[in-house]
Amino acid sequence: MIALTSPYLWYTTRATGLVTLVLFTLVVSLGTLVANRVGGTAVGRFELNELHRTIAAVACAFLAIHVVTTVIDSYVSTGPLAAVVPFVSSYKRLPVALGTIALDLMLAVWASSLLKARIANASWRFIHWFSWLAFAIAVVHALLAGTDARSGIGLAVVIVCVAVVAGAGAWRFAARPTRAAGRTALSPLGGEPERASRPVPRRSEPTARPAPSADGPQRAAPAFPRRPRPGRSR
Amino acid sequence: MGVRRRVGGFVLLVNPILCDGFGHCAELAPDLVHVDEWGYPIIVTEPVALANLAALESARYAVRGCPRQALRIERVHDAH
Repeated sequence: MIALTSPYLWYTTRATGLVTLVLFTLVVSLGTLVANRVGGTAVGRFELNELHRTIAAVACAFLAIHVVTTVIDSYVSTGPLAAVVPFVSSYKRLPVALGTIALDLMLAVWASSLLKARIANASWRFIHWFSWLAFAIAVVHALLAGTDARSGIGLAVVIVCVAVVAGAGAWRFAARPTRAAGRTALSPLGGEPERASRPVPRRSEPTARPAPSADGPQRAAPAFPRRPRPGRSR
Repeated sequence: MGVRRRVGGFVLLVNPILCDGFGHCAELAPDLVHVDEWGYPIIVTEPVALANLAALESARYAVRGCPRQALRIERVHDAH
């Protein structure tokens, strides 16, 4: 391989490492919001889920840059194998190995999410718990291997990220909603949203559409029934 | 790429064992899914025409958006 000793690789590794930490903090927090059934009135639950998925993809891209720039930077000899196999780096063996372990756990989470439709949902959920462990290991990796994480702004960022994720974890553990948590009715895709605050019409009452409001045009009525038949399967 | 014939219809089906009542489907396919007062979905049971692309798209969003992978779209041939 061509020896690449540009300091910009090192700068890129440092910067993307810190950005990856911040992004995964966001991803874990958003995932906790989804799992704890936040949203449904001001912001849709599916919107938080979409944000979780999209920011996770961005975070994985930054993680990939972080790993690739580390591997191709020949100033320190980590070697390409050290990207996926822990404890083979001759440079900072333990700190790099922790990053490798966190990366492998994140790869498992990423692959299981891509294969979500093909694997059992319970498997996907189990693998998804790895992300908490990966985050914790990644933080230790940042503190041990990182150039910037032990002082100044870098340390402040790490502390804030750890505090946010620790709070999210405590909330996830304390709230632990395993079943439904009430109505949600917020969608940009069609119909008028039934706000959670609005009283729900009873089945016996005629389900007439409300009069068009002055502030917006009435949407076209859908070409298929809005109300299900009572007493049928759910 | 073949020509997709939009004949027949589809129904959106939920696996009630997998469903944990996240309610994402009711947000993504509000014309197909209503939620009961506990947050579980009540889905329109009669087939919707495949030609109703808006409904089909919203159903696909609901399938993709379900955190428990509890939804699926099933084709039927006697659409109204």
